[in-house]
Amino acid sequence: MSAVLRLENLSVALPRGSRKPVPVLDELNLFVKAGEMLALVGESGSGKTIAALSVMRLLPKGAKISGQAWLGETDLTALDEPAMRRIRGLGAAMVFQNPLAALNPSRTVASQIQEAYRVHNSASPRAARARALELLGEVGIPNAAARLDDYPHQFSGGMRQRVMIAMALSCGPKLLIADEPTTGLDPLIARQIMALIGRLRRELNMGVLFVTHDLSVVEEHADSIHVLYAGRSVEWGGGAEFFAHPRHPYSEALLGSVARIGQARLQNIPGNLPEPESRPPGCRFFSRCGYSQPECNISYPPPDPQGGTTAACLYPLPATSRPIYFETLEKPPGPPREPQLEIRDLSVRYTGNAGLFSPAASLPKALADIALTLGRGECLGVVGESGSGKSTLGRAVLQMIPYQGHILLDGQDFAALRGQSRRAQRRRIQVVFQDPRESLNPRIRVADAIAEPFRLSADKSNQRERVNTLLDRVGLNPEIGQRLPGGVSGGQAQRIAIARALAAGPELIVLDEPTSSLDVSTQAMLLNLLKDLAVETGLSYILISHDFAVVSYMADRIAVLNAGKIVEINDTAALIASPEHEYTRALIGAAPQLRDRLSAPPAGVKTL
Amino acid sequence: MSEISLQSSAGMPAAPLGRLLGWLGVRATLVTGLAIGLAIIFLGFAGPSLYPVDPYAINPAHALQGPSTSFPLGTDELGRDELALLLSGGFATLVVALPAAILAFLTGLAYGLAAGLGPGWLDRLLMRLLDAILALPSLIILIFFASLVTLNNTSLILLLGFISWPSLARLVRNETLAQRGRDFVLATEQLGASRFYIARVHLLRVMAPILVVNGTFMVGDSIFALSALSFLGLGVQPPQVSWGSLLESGLDIIALDPWWLILPPGLLVFGALIAASLTGQGLLARYGGTR
Repeated sequence: MSAVLRLENLSVALPRGSRKPVPVLDELNLFVKAGEMLALVGESGSGKTIAALSVMRLLPKGAKISGQAWLGETDLTALDEPAMRRIRGLGAAMVFQNPLAALNPSRTVASQIQEAYRVHNSASPRAARARALELLGEVGIPNAAARLDDYPHQFSGGMRQRVMIAMALSCGPKLLIADEPTTGLDPLIARQIMALIGRLRRELNMGVLFVTHDLSVVEEHADSIHVLYAGRSVEWGGGAEFFAHPRHPYSEALLGSVARIGQARLQNIPGNLPEPESRPPGCRFFSRCGYSQPECNISYPPPDPQGGTTAACLYPLPATSRPIYFETLEKPPGPPREPQLEIRDLSVRYTGNAGLFSPAASLPKALADIALTLGRGECLGVVGESGSGKSTLGRAVLQMIPYQGHILLDGQDFAALRGQSRRAQRRRIQVVFQDPRESLNPRIRVADAIAEPFRLSADKSNQRERVNTLLDRVGLNPEIGQRLPGGVSGGQAQRIAIARALAAGPELIVLDEPTSSLDVSTQAMLLNLLKDLAVETGLSYILISHDFAVVSYMADRIAVLNAGKIVEINDTAALIASPEHEYTRALIGAAPQLRDRLSAPPAGVKTL
Repeated sequence: MSEISLQSSAGMPAAPLGRLLGWLGVRATLVTGLAIGLAIIFLGFAGPSLYPVDPYAINPAHALQGPSTSFPLGTDELGRDELALLLSGGFATLVVALPAAILAFLTGLAYGLAAGLGPGWLDRLLMRLLDAILALPSLIILIFFASLVTLNNTSLILLLGFISWPSLARLVRNETLAQRGRDFVLATEQLGASRFYIARVHLLRVMAPILVVNGTFMVGDSIFALSALSFLGLGVQPPQVSWGSLLESGLDIIALDPWWLILPPGLLVFGALIAASLTGQGLLARYGGTR
């Protein structure tokens, strides 16, 4: 099989303000064969998206490219814009992360697929429509003929991504570039999309360059893997070999920070990504690597091929070592706990569209008849897909929305409280939201944001000292207190949000998808931090997430929510061992598992 | 990496020059606006003491003289020194227009915050009321009320302050609704903060850019409205002069072509409007996006 795409020493520098261009990708070499999927993996700032965009020549203005990108026999970096336009769609097509932003909301999907098709094919409208129908069927849209004239908003997130894929396939490209196509989708849907791309590439003998930050997504489908860190390749090679025994310390750490069912401890990668302006001369992972030696910091390490993968490392891990992420921990059910939070007959209705002609009673319930008890010091996981009501449950507990039923904290019903005493009881439950950028006022300095709970309480003494203690506790340097939220990373912002919640002295924290917008290694560090905090302080958590593996890592007990109802609730270990509800089984099946690849033969490529 | 905008890299003109011009444009707008505005405010408040000539000294022997060394901007039909009149009129204009703008600003802000943070019925009530006020032509209303009351600085400030707040109120209300659902506001409520605290500490800070920009525009509006009223004889009352009344008295005798009596007050009103507009636009371009 010949290479569909071959990148040779591809380097990209992007303009930053008025200063000279900053290198974001250095000397990338890779090739994608026909009918194969290459996963290009890296965290924020690794340069993975830049690599994908530079193949399509969709880089921001002022970007400097060097090296070659061969699509078949054509060097894409040497083409002028009209020639490049003929390549896009026909030679290579791209699928983006957010299909809602990439589809035109005011036109039917048929017209958009037809348009994509007719850019490169002089087909009659009738033939183009037939092709659109054929494509929608191919990407697995049920009852495709009836849905041709629907608009994008009439499709669910997963179905929209299928429409995007149909558009990308319309002209029969030899290469499909998929940039995080499953990020933001529910795990069950994400799995289906992965299976779809996995199937199409073989049926159509198409090469796939799959860009992602999440290794667990590509574990089943990638034929080969290429890992980037801070703009440089660290390890590449066969997928099965890579997942069985990663050899670069960064690959190992990255795999170890993916939450898996039954995992004892996620791996922390200490430190931060080096800034593009101040990257070390040698191995870029040098400062964060647990195995580093002084000579690692001199020059980029020569690639060392062995056992099916190549690691750019002076001291790669032996191919026979047993990676740390295989250690498991049996989670025994904890001792009986005294009840802290009690929820009785909780129901919430949607109130958004209630009006003269649609009384609230006719609206569907977001939550129906929820009853559960949270023990002191317990972490209760709440899982469910989008729209299952899991965030609504969190907001009801926080008293942010009106509800029917009773929520009691230490036996005291919120409904019986008014004014100051109600505020005081509310304050004992704090919250950490999903989007770290939204959790902090962009115009208030970090130290002031953390001190705000002190200013709003009776004890206003020693604020600076207490802020620094909290910053230290969440693993941040007190120096960061003087910055505005715009000047910190997403992971740091989330730590600050946790520090701010802790400053209120809560007994329970509602964690609403606290890590789902973060890179895996950042997620691992935050989850570990939250775990340690709970042990140190006896805090209880309600952890809301669509990621079953994350919940199973954190929670003592898990409640599975579906369509506003708790369909199953049990101790974590018992739930995983014997899930009773079909939906629970599907969630567990979609979550990354611990697999001992050393004792089993390398898994072949599976399809759904 | 969604922050990368998907633009084609080829076939585009060189970017740095355009960006430089854009940056200079914003700078120039802001600097020009501020310079004109500060100059006018300086002249209005410090002018009378820097040019201590009695503006009301009548001297028929020198009536209607063009600019000369003894009368830098000539004299009016009563022989009064036009420059001294302009400076005195400037002070009279600013001393009403600035407090009126501040009053309108505070009214609009409080009204908008009350509607945005209050219960739903209050919001609906206040907004319908606002619709009714906005439906009336403000200058006509102003003239109507000005003809009913005794005109002095206090009543003029109240009148002018009353007409220009509704648009700010609507803006603040909409912005409040957009901001109050944001996570950091919800998290602050969870800390037990009152709505007043949230408005004061959080909403005002995130709204600061639009407030500053609109406040600047309101100063311009206020100067213009006062000049228009004075021109119609309903503003600052004689014997005190203002830019509007000076313009009017110059136009009364336009047949005699006294350009030195018409051009300077006209230019000052025009300059004040331009200054407010440029400053506002410059601030908007420079800081408006960082919310």
